[in-house]
Amino acid sequence: MIELKNITKKYEINKNNIVTALDDVSMKIQEGELVVLKGASGSGKSSVLSLIAALSKPTQGEVIVDEKHISKLPDNFASEYRRDNIGFVFQKYNLIPSLSVRENILLPLVPLNPDASDVDEKLNRVMNMFQIDHKADSIIKNLSGGEQQRVAIARANVNDPKIIIADEPTANLDEKLSLHFIEMLRELKALKKTIVVATHDPLFFDLDFVDREIEMHNGKIVG
Amino acid sequence: MILTPEVLTIFILNALFAFFGIVAFVLSLSIYRNWNLNSVSQTQYKLEKQSYLAATIIKFIFIIKVPLFLFFVFTLDKISNVLTGAMCGAGVVDATVYGTPLFILKIINLYIFAYWIVLNNEDMKDEKQPYTKQKFGFFILAFFLFFGELVLEGVMFSSIEIDKMVSCCGTLYSSSSASALSSIFALDISLLLGIFYAVYMLMILFYFLKNRYLFGIANIIFVIISLVTVIVFFGTYIYELPSHHCPFCFLQSDYYFVGYLIYTLLFLGTFYGLVSGFIDLSQEKRAKSYKKSLIFNTLYVILLSLYPIIFYINNGVWL
Repeated sequence: MIELKNITKKYEINKNNIVTALDDVSMKIQEGELVVLKGASGSGKSSVLSLIAALSKPTQGEVIVDEKHISKLPDNFASEYRRDNIGFVFQKYNLIPSLSVRENILLPLVPLNPDASDVDEKLNRVMNMFQIDHKADSIIKNLSGGEQQRVAIARANVNDPKIIIADEPTANLDEKLSLHFIEMLRELKALKKTIVVATHDPLFFDLDFVDREIEMHNGKIVG
Repeated sequence: MILTPEVLTIFILNALFAFFGIVAFVLSLSIYRNWNLNSVSQTQYKLEKQSYLAATIIKFIFIIKVPLFLFFVFTLDKISNVLTGAMCGAGVVDATVYGTPLFILKIINLYIFAYWIVLNNEDMKDEKQPYTKQKFGFFILAFFLFFGELVLEGVMFSSIEIDKMVSCCGTLYSSSSASALSSIFALDISLLLGIFYAVYMLMILFYFLKNRYLFGIANIIFVIISLVTVIVFFGTYIYELPSHHCPFCFLQSDYYFVGYLIYTLLFLGTFYGLVSGFIDLSQEKRAKSYKKSLIFNTLYVILLSLYPIIFYINNGVWL
């Protein structure tokens, strides 16, 4: 379970310009739940995601995941937490264009130094799940947008994380590919993953398999 | 004042150490006063960031300072060439009134810096950061010794008068010396050697008894007794001269720089001994630390003991 308790997050641009991205925000997300964070740009959605992923620390308040106070973790332990628990799908995929599909997907496994058979088993599982196995040796820059997105999702899942976080995952996709992504989310939800999606794409609203929609505005939860 | 490339290097490094050390000291004061890991306040999150910065600064200063001690010794030895009367680093240490206090302070700081590094490592390995307050409190105290060393080092090198005659080690380390050192030559050598090997045997005994405090104390005694025995007894066999007792000359190439090995083994052995004795470690880590201490101390004892034995085998007499 994910819990945000009285979170305030401020970004100091300079001494006279401090932006409050989150203002005393509290929320709970249950295990296996799919939550959509919606709101306009600058509403604080991405800040919530980066706090859950321990990519940043709050200015005040607490983030607890599975009873672990992750906002209090030193950086090296925060990295371990991310590696073991979080799969992140970025808006711009953040793939390495000169590497192959296989190489991009196995990147999160490198710090774990697993044996070759374990790597193959994990790679084959996710490439098969997200239907990208036929492109395993293709270079990323030669793939279409939809294929790149499938690689990004496969990479986010290769460690079999408990939590999947997606930040504006369909911002660069046309409607057909966006719908395809939503179908992949449905499959992940069926696997009992906890999923948090930050988006302002109306395609995500009122979906039957979404458990909850949380609306944010100016760093506060408004609905 | 003497300004060789080595001294200039020390001055430049000391200026950097002083600047970053002061930054770390100011941060440490605030961390020590306000640290509360259970708090989720803005102040605590700020302190957590500052503690990472301060710990990184201190770690890098101390990591450089520990091996820099050998460079300091090397520098003393090097500039002895340009001081009239000096045959090795001993003459340079004795050239000013600041030399001996600086040298003693450097030896004490060596253990303090290394202790802080171990404390910091233990702290960083635990997500609860159990030693944060302790390590910054310790640094606040250590800072005065650290800063004192930087100042004293600057003053010592600045006070050396290149045209002034200094004493050579043969004069300084002899029973006729006017310094307090002469008193150690009045000690009975058999008794001294007995104490040296007895303390070493006690360390082994305390290792098997797993009595950490006694093991740590034995290591402190071992540092002192070792330095005295090297000067009074073992040194003469390294030089194969009954009247030469200098603890610096065997750092020179004539003796294959064996002094660096001797002092490094003594430092590592006794340092791990102190870590075993006085830092709260897990059983596994303590066992490793005990073993490292015994291994280095044993190598030290073997290395020193070999000199008189080989001399006796070759010559059939003791010095």
